[in-house]
Amino acid sequence: MKKIDVACIIDDDPIFIYSVKKLMKLANFCESFMIFNNGQEAINNLTPILESGENMPNVILLDLNMPIMDGWEFLDEFTKIKAHKEVVIYVVSSSIDPQDKNRLKTYEAVSKFIIKPINVELLAKISEELIA
Amino acid sequence: MQSSKNVLSMNEKEFYLDFIQSTAKIGFWEVFLDSNTVIWSPETYKIHELPLSYKPSVKEGINFYKEGYSRDTISKAFKNCVEKHESYDVELQIITASGKEKWVRAIGKAQVNNGICFKVSGVFQDIDEKTKITTELARREQLLTKTFELSAVGTVTLDLKGKFLDANRSFCETFGYTKNELLALSFLDITHPNDKNKGKQAIMDMMNGKVNYFQTEKRYLGKNGRTIWAFISSTLIRDNNGQPLHFVTQINDISQIKRSTKKIVNLLDTTENQNKRLLNFAHIVSHNLRSHFSNLNMLLDLAKMEIPESTENEIYPLLKQAVDHLGETVDNLNEVASINTKKDIKLEPISLLPTINNIANSIAAQIIATNAKLSINVDDNITVMAIPAYLDSIILNFLTNAIKYKKPNDNPVIDINAEIKNNFVILKIRDYGMGIDLQKYGEKLFGMYKTFHKHKDSRGIGLFITKNQIEAIGGQVQVESEVNLGTTFIVKLKNYEKN
Repeated sequence: MKKIDVACIIDDDPIFIYSVKKLMKLANFCESFMIFNNGQEAINNLTPILESGENMPNVILLDLNMPIMDGWEFLDEFTKIKAHKEVVIYVVSSSIDPQDKNRLKTYEAVSKFIIKPINVELLAKISEELIA
Repeated sequence: MQSSKNVLSMNEKEFYLDFIQSTAKIGFWEVFLDSNTVIWSPETYKIHELPLSYKPSVKEGINFYKEGYSRDTISKAFKNCVEKHESYDVELQIITASGKEKWVRAIGKAQVNNGICFKVSGVFQDIDEKTKITTELARREQLLTKTFELSAVGTVTLDLKGKFLDANRSFCETFGYTKNELLALSFLDITHPNDKNKGKQAIMDMMNGKVNYFQTEKRYLGKNGRTIWAFISSTLIRDNNGQPLHFVTQINDISQIKRSTKKIVNLLDTTENQNKRLLNFAHIVSHNLRSHFSNLNMLLDLAKMEIPESTENEIYPLLKQAVDHLGETVDNLNEVASINTKKDIKLEPISLLPTINNIANSIAAQIIATNAKLSINVDDNITVMAIPAYLDSIILNFLTNAIKYKKPNDNPVIDINAEIKNNFVILKIRDYGMGIDLQKYGEKLFGMYKTFHKHKDSRGIGLFITKNQIEAIGGQVQVESEVNLGTTFIVKLKNYEKN
């Protein structure tokens, strides 16, 4: 099975990052990780990467509630980058507020809304979708 | 013959006397004491409603007066007249021959010779009409005075400069002044400084005849300095020539209403604030609790995969169970919060029977396992207004409850029926299970985290959520139950009306 090269995780919760990384390794989800603790950090680092086209992440798992720059602001900034369509974005949040869900529908760049927690089965499914 | 031009003839005198008697309803009478003869003029007969053939005596004459005050008074007056030669002029009541009560004026005068009264003569006048009018007037006057004085509405009369002419009790009580104190004041003296100009134009307009009365809301000051909010209504009274005489003003103390309104507004603000905070709280619960739960869950998964031996003890399964329950609780809390904070709920028509059948199919395993007997008696054209997910959840919860709380050794029997009543669909889910002691638990039945049976799956959140969902879609739920006989849930849902 073909593997994802780079998975990018944007989340402020260290336990979540630790767990997802572990689970991804166990599920053999990807070759490498890119971790950012908030939207601003992600934008700062992803902009040059996307512009150069090198070492681009295949998928971003994006949290919504974060300090400094939250998921929504990140999406607004990220979609301004030309090459953003090459990256698949999954929003992964604890929020099950239907208002958030409806708001996400207005973001074309977002492929899916996943409610935490994440497990190995879910990762396998994402992997399938991405490679197909 | 000369005098005939200036002096009336006896005939003429008699004519005028008769004329006066009949038009003024005045009769004459005479009593000759030595012969005890009584002479009445024709008008006197008429007032008594007696024929001229009637021969009156003193005793009979007195007996025509109404028993009691009237008869006693005339007896005494007549006796005094005869014995002490005192004239009398009294207004009394008689009872006529036909039994009618009549007011009369009786005047008597003694004719005296050598210090002895030999004759009493007098006048007898029918004053019934006049007296009755006077009495009626007095009665009305009294009524008006009482109405003014005892009215619950503060009422005053004011002269054209606004000085108090009169004030009733209610007004005095409201303002804390005595009537005499008020009579030394003018209306402006007790008006709140900020409202002194209010209504000035209206008073001018009334004086000019542009308006007949005016009403307004104004503040006043009581004697103790307290602000009094009042609704006033003022009218200008004019004399027969249209000249303004005085004002009549009514005052309703609305201070209490004003204060209550202020309280209500404050309360509303507080409630709105609390609602906002609650919404906020719901989001915090939703997000933060769920983050912690999901982290715990993921860590447990990892532990199982990474360190399989860590699961081979008593603690791991219990920990796993605790985390799972935490997840459920978070879900439930979330559900409740989202139902209660949902705005602009859009209901859609949903056919009831297929929904029930679908739910029954989805729990087919449970039905087969418990050997449950489900009889659904719902007309297939019944359509309710609901949110699909809510309706599913409502029916599912009642069905699984009915199965869950069966009698320990019996198979569950469940009847479902529905009817349309006053634009509502009345859905009844009846089981013949354990029942609930409503006397004991009735008030708590739909409360959060209340369980009534020591059943292994009892969590106590189901009914609470169900009730919230029913109410969110404009419905109601009731319960009838008896221990060991079973429970019926009666759900009232909005009926879908075609067109």
